[in-house]
Amino acid sequence: MVRDGARPGEHKYVAVRAYLADLVTTELAVGDAIPSERSLTEKFGVSRMTVRQAIDALVTEGVLERAQGRGTFVAPPRADFEMRLTTFGEEARRRGLTPGATVLRCEQLPAPAVVAEALDRETGTPVHHVVRLRTADGNPMSVEESWIPVDLAPDLLDDGVPDSLYAALRERDLDPTWGEEVITAADATPEELEALQMQGSRAVMRTARRTFGGDAAVMYSRACYRGDRYSVFVPLREARPTLVPRARPSDGDAGRPVQPSAPPGRIPEGSPR
Amino acid sequence: MSTPDPDAQLAASILAGLGGVENIEEIDPCTTRLRSLVKDPALVDAALLKRAGAFGVMINGRVVQVVVGPRVDTIASDLAELM
Repeated sequence: MVRDGARPGEHKYVAVRAYLADLVTTELAVGDAIPSERSLTEKFGVSRMTVRQAIDALVTEGVLERAQGRGTFVAPPRADFEMRLTTFGEEARRRGLTPGATVLRCEQLPAPAVVAEALDRETGTPVHHVVRLRTADGNPMSVEESWIPVDLAPDLLDDGVPDSLYAALRERDLDPTWGEEVITAADATPEELEALQMQGSRAVMRTARRTFGGDAAVMYSRACYRGDRYSVFVPLREARPTLVPRARPSDGDAGRPVQPSAPPGRIPEGSPR
Repeated sequence: MSTPDPDAQLAASILAGLGGVENIEEIDPCTTRLRSLVKDPALVDAALLKRAGAFGVMINGRVVQVVVGPRVDTIASDLAELM
């Protein structure tokens, strides 16, 4: 059911926005034009400014996209990339998208402290540094920055940046086997806004990943993903049981479980906020 | 208990690095980390934990996170036995 009126007390633009959002889900396909501003102002009896406010909101959310001088269209769905040890290219292909990369930087440099620590190296250790704009079906999705210790793969970039850094590591028997990634919400910098061709919103997701091959840190990478084009999919499973020390005879009261010393409900000092 | 199993050895070293069983209130095994709540963070030896094979040690007040990677399952079982 597509709704076509404002509910009591609701701002008029909310009704127009809900109508358009419903239309996108029920009747329109990706790339279809939305109804003209004029027809919407007539349908809802609102000003053109109110209609634009509704459309702007949906452009910011990534539901619609504007094409300069051509109008407003239904945007492609977000890419919901699963959080696992794969590369952008691998995830894109599995979703039927064609991955692309534009190399923005490719160099060798002394590892800054943060990078060196992530790679279990001394600060200043030579690392390969690659910055790429990643695209899916030609649309900018993320800016990706990677560091790989030169000592692990001296010839890594001799023939330019490989299509897949993970594949290049596998060729050198440095198969990525596990990693850790941290995701943070942020506003894009002006440079990122331009590179990612972002229109309405500045919201991005920043990731920082340590990639390990067995016991060795093989790559550190950071990426900046468009907040309006990308969602993160995280499979969940039940948490493992918490381990608590058993009561010991030396505790003086054998058989009594050891209680945490903090009173119940109190947040331990210094715990992560 | 006396078999030189590397996971069991790492579990024993982690307990020692966290200041011994007596210093531990609880250990929460995550996918790649052990998040522990200790009584006295001054007894935690981050260098020992790293030497034993931890890929990272984050200490924040009484919360100590030890990055151990995908071996966390077997290490957690070994820890349960030692605690």
